Amino acid sequence: MNFDHLHLLLNHVPIIGFFVGVGLLLASFTGNNDDLRRSALIIFAAIALLTIPTFVSGVGADRAIAREPGISDALVRRHEGAAMLGLWFVLATGAAALMALWRSRRTGGPPRGNIAAVMLLAVVASILMGRTGNTGGDIRHPQPGAAAGTAITEGVVGSIIQPFEPSPDGFTNLMVVNKWWWATMMVMHFVGLSLIIGAVGAINLRIMGFAKELPFAPLHRLLPLAMAGLAINVVTGMLAFIGMPAYYAADIAFWFKLAALMLLGLNVAVFYLTGIFHRVERLAPGEDATLSAKIVAASSLLLWFTVIISGRYIQHFEDSLRF
Amino acid sequence: MAAPAFLNTLERSGLSTWIRESESAFAYYFVLVIHNIGLALLVGACGVLGARLLGFVPDLPLAPLRRYFRFVWAGFWLNVVSGVFLLIAYPTKALTNPVFYVKLVLIAVGVVVLRRIERQLPREAAPGEAAPAMRRSLALWMLGVWLGVLTAGRALAYTATYILYGKGT
Repeated sequence: MNFDHLHLLLNHVPIIGFFVGVGLLLASFTGNNDDLRRSALIIFAAIALLTIPTFVSGVGADRAIAREPGISDALVRRHEGAAMLGLWFVLATGAAALMALWRSRRTGGPPRGNIAAVMLLAVVASILMGRTGNTGGDIRHPQPGAAAGTAITEGVVGSIIQPFEPSPDGFTNLMVVNKWWWATMMVMHFVGLSLIIGAVGAINLRIMGFAKELPFAPLHRLLPLAMAGLAINVVTGMLAFIGMPAYYAADIAFWFKLAALMLLGLNVAVFYLTGIFHRVERLAPGEDATLSAKIVAASSLLLWFTVIISGRYIQHFEDSLRF
Repeated sequence: MAAPAFLNTLERSGLSTWIRESESAFAYYFVLVIHNIGLALLVGACGVLGARLLGFVPDLPLAPLRRYFRFVWAGFWLNVVSGVFLLIAYPTKALTNPVFYVKLVLIAVGVVVLRRIERQLPREAAPGEAAPAMRRSLALWMLGVWLGVLTAGRALAYTATYILYGKGT
């Protein structure tokens, strides 16, 4: 499988996405434009999701490129360190944006503190994504005079950020050096899975017509449980990936799981942004949801179980991909 | 410590060997997938029940939540069956590990707690009446015990003394 191309396809998405998001969020302050603000928050959440395959495909690209002559290993490591720092700020921005969207669903606008947090995180994330992009570009197109083997010179921005960037191999070792740390992450991943399936399952089953005596609105207020579970699982999942990057990248079940997660992002977008949610929101006890809502709910459940099943099959499909 | 010889016999049986050693995607990892789905159903439904009983969504009527016990017991029996298959695949690994017995005790406590909650849930919605205050401690017991089962189950992978009969870790 050609991860090199996948990485090249995806790697501009986080950078451009975050620049656009920050621009929209800034513009929303003039005249207090709520639609613009909402769009910015949705973009941050969507881009955070897409950053996961971007990050992950980098490992495959790393292995592919390492065989080519004239590629500086130090430049590759520097790019990986930059990505490993930026990733957490991108994910944190996405989480803060989702929280702001959730909290604004009734009041019309999210709390100021929440928006300030999104803004701050998004600006830091944009700078770090810019840095990641630059260090990535340097791998294929080194600066003039910087032949492979010579010391890397940093610009002003780079020299400020560089001390905060982890050493990729050091980060990887940290995750796998202690089996109890690994066991803790796995336990948390299973707890997160249960939170997601519980809350998402209850909401989707009600839409599909199970336990129709339940009103929709209070059930939907269980969603923060699923969001907490998602946060736990994205963090523990990415930490596990950093612990064994080559193992996961060479596994077809892992990529299947990621694909299902991306489709779930699409599923959530269809549910909340096309008016389907608006129609189910006020479902009283005994009321039936529309067919379109039922289809979206059923596909959400199907995709979440695909995530669980393919996640559990990762060990079985070890070394199923060559790159 | 010498493990009893019947573990060796069981491990050498056709079924045990097949689950453990078959290259098929429908052997060992399929059983694990079923065990995982059972966990998701049981602990997921417990999470929703717990959230309601602890007062996170007080306006959610209690009586219809009885229906969620279908998923609780479906998950439970899926995991009893898949758990037996996992035990057949690695009897020495499980039965020589104290954590496995901790897990069994926790499951027993968890079942008692779940049955008590199921009995206490109202059968019919009482119109206009606020949900009866069920003891929060029962909900906390339910969540704590099943979290313990999950943790013990995960820990089995990291605490085994033997993997197979006569084969230490």
